[in-house]
Amino acid sequence: MSLEELTSDEIECILRQAAKFKYETSNPECQTDYLKGKRVVNLFLEPSTRTRIAFEIAAKSLCADVISISGKSSSLTKGETLKDTALNVQALGADLIVVRHSSPGSPLFLSRTIDVPIINAGDGAHEHPSQGLLDIFTLRENIGCLEGKKITILGDILFSRVARSNLWGLKKLGAEVTLAGPSTLVPRQFEEMGVQVSHDLRESLVDADAVMLLRIQHERQSSSHFPSLSEYTKMFGLNAARSKWMKPNAIILHPGPINRGVEIDSELADSKRAVILDQVKNGIAVRMAILYLCAQNSEGYSKNV
Amino acid sequence: MSNYCLKDARVIDPSQNLDKTLDLTVANGVITFGSAGDSMESIDCRGKIIMPGMIDIRGHLHEPENLSSASNAAASGGYTTILIMSNIGAPADNAGIVHLMREKASKDSTIQILQCGCLTKASQGKVLAPLGSLKEAGVVAVSDCPSSPQNTEIFARGLEYASMFELPVIEFPRDLAISTRGVAHDGPFSLKMGIGGYPRMAEELFVQRAITVCKNLCTRIHLTSISSAGSVELIREAKSKGIMVTADTTAHHLALTDERLMGYNTNSKTMPPLREESDRLAILEGIKDETIDCISSAHEPCQKHEKEVEFDLAPAGAIGYETALSVVFEQLSQSVKDPFPLIAKTMSLNPSRILKVKSKIAEGKRANLFVFDPSVSWTYKVDEGKSAAQNSPYENMEMKGSVLMTFSNGEKVFSIS
Repeated sequence: MSLEELTSDEIECILRQAAKFKYETSNPECQTDYLKGKRVVNLFLEPSTRTRIAFEIAAKSLCADVISISGKSSSLTKGETLKDTALNVQALGADLIVVRHSSPGSPLFLSRTIDVPIINAGDGAHEHPSQGLLDIFTLRENIGCLEGKKITILGDILFSRVARSNLWGLKKLGAEVTLAGPSTLVPRQFEEMGVQVSHDLRESLVDADAVMLLRIQHERQSSSHFPSLSEYTKMFGLNAARSKWMKPNAIILHPGPINRGVEIDSELADSKRAVILDQVKNGIAVRMAILYLCAQNSEGYSKNV
Repeated sequence: MSNYCLKDARVIDPSQNLDKTLDLTVANGVITFGSAGDSMESIDCRGKIIMPGMIDIRGHLHEPENLSSASNAAASGGYTTILIMSNIGAPADNAGIVHLMREKASKDSTIQILQCGCLTKASQGKVLAPLGSLKEAGVVAVSDCPSSPQNTEIFARGLEYASMFELPVIEFPRDLAISTRGVAHDGPFSLKMGIGGYPRMAEELFVQRAITVCKNLCTRIHLTSISSAGSVELIREAKSKGIMVTADTTAHHLALTDERLMGYNTNSKTMPPLREESDRLAILEGIKDETIDCISSAHEPCQKHEKEVEFDLAPAGAIGYETALSVVFEQLSQSVKDPFPLIAKTMSLNPSRILKVKSKIAEGKRANLFVFDPSVSWTYKVDEGKSAAQNSPYENMEMKGSVLMTFSNGEKVFSIS
């Protein structure tokens, strides 16, 4: 459901499992058919490419049967409620349901409605736990243990589920988190969650061991959050010149899809600092771990991640 | 019609400074003090309170509720009069619908149902509703609740025009431009949960607007469902300057905060949204110093399936007739030594003055009153309630004090089984 509710031990457990899968999938002699005979349903009611495909590949790598339902092809367009759609999916024999939805809290709502384990693949501006976990996985591969490390998340925080998942996860592993961006998208109230808030780009970059950029989500904002994309780029966009403010070894992450020339300039996105494609690759192993552990848990103890 | 002698009850009626222990008899629907005759049911009311029937100043009638279930639910909560806000589906913006509604209410209801008309046509905020005709048809107030005319010219003209008929205007202070997407209080919880915020500012700006318009036009206004500490402060200041503003809050806002939304509980989604503890405490202070005149039930039924959806798609609203009194009693008990005079004022006397209806316990008058036992507590279960709707935030919560009996227009309309 969310990284807010996971303990650091649980996060470690998922990451360990992900590391194991990453190793196993890169070695052809290893079998990873742990979910053979299981039916995984991807219920993606909001557009998604990366996350949906990553979950599909992850499930297929575990030899599960995968069925993907998108918003457009589902009965929701015919007026069926989410509850009924989920009850139907359950009746059709799903063992795990991966949900992406534009309404915050909807995976939790579903988990109260049906008995099949639900995996949150992003719910509105609430959380995107699998993304948070793969970001943390990638960070650790690149900068090691996160205890005491300074991580800056830059951009549209207000509407970002990725930022929320990351801030909980990172804090639990001992990192110091700074949220940065324009004041209308990074309200001071975030400080109550135990993070720093900065509206000064330079200040937020100089100390950081890693900078996580977020996409400006035009689709969620009303027009008044900032004047224009070009103004945003001018004030908060990351480019080669500004990247010099960063520590020499600091890395850049981005959950995608990137808007080249808006939050990051093209050259920088393709540079060595950027680990954007590593994130995508790690996304598969992390999601394999989530599917695997959820399937195991559904036979044993707690139900949802 | 049975006759009842309610013995040794504490009878409170702030309209005439009545507060003493006596025997109250209801014979043929009419009140006399002192016990009389043998041919009546005698009820020991030691330790019980009798107050004038409560008058609710904000309630809505939506499916699955109907007039009959609403009036039964209200009667069991101590109400003898309820004001029904105009419905979006069938807006009370023409005399015809008001006649229809009143005719139906007189048939289906055991208590007095008052109709609130629209201030503007279909509550769209664009053109004034025919306020004079509505008044003639029998509305006791007009309001666009839970919306508000966004155009200040329409709003001001509406106040001015309604004042000619001495028709109370009930304003639900809400700046839509900054609350359209808001489904929860704009605070730490909404931020954490990633849901759209409805800031205090949206209410306070329109409270200030209402005060300024009233001051300049020398009209009255009643502000409904105050939820923010800042609004309480603005109203307090306006009252001290003699501006003719009155206000209510809801029982939900006196008892609950936005913490209740954790877990995306759609039954705690109200309009306006539940706010923070500091707001709740300021509202409590406002009630105590009479800045806030009334406490409403804000009864707003929704169908079960309407609430069983994604949080942001669920309609706002919570039922409240059956729980308002216990909730208010519990909250006021914590800071007022004897809360009953204040309850009688905020839930009966003050609404009666604003809506210009009667609320009095006096010899020779028909009985509109209820008997309350403050010593019992009970667990609220929506399944066992009288409302046809189930969208309550108080499910399984402990309720303090209980209504034993309600009389409306001389008839016993409720007694606890």
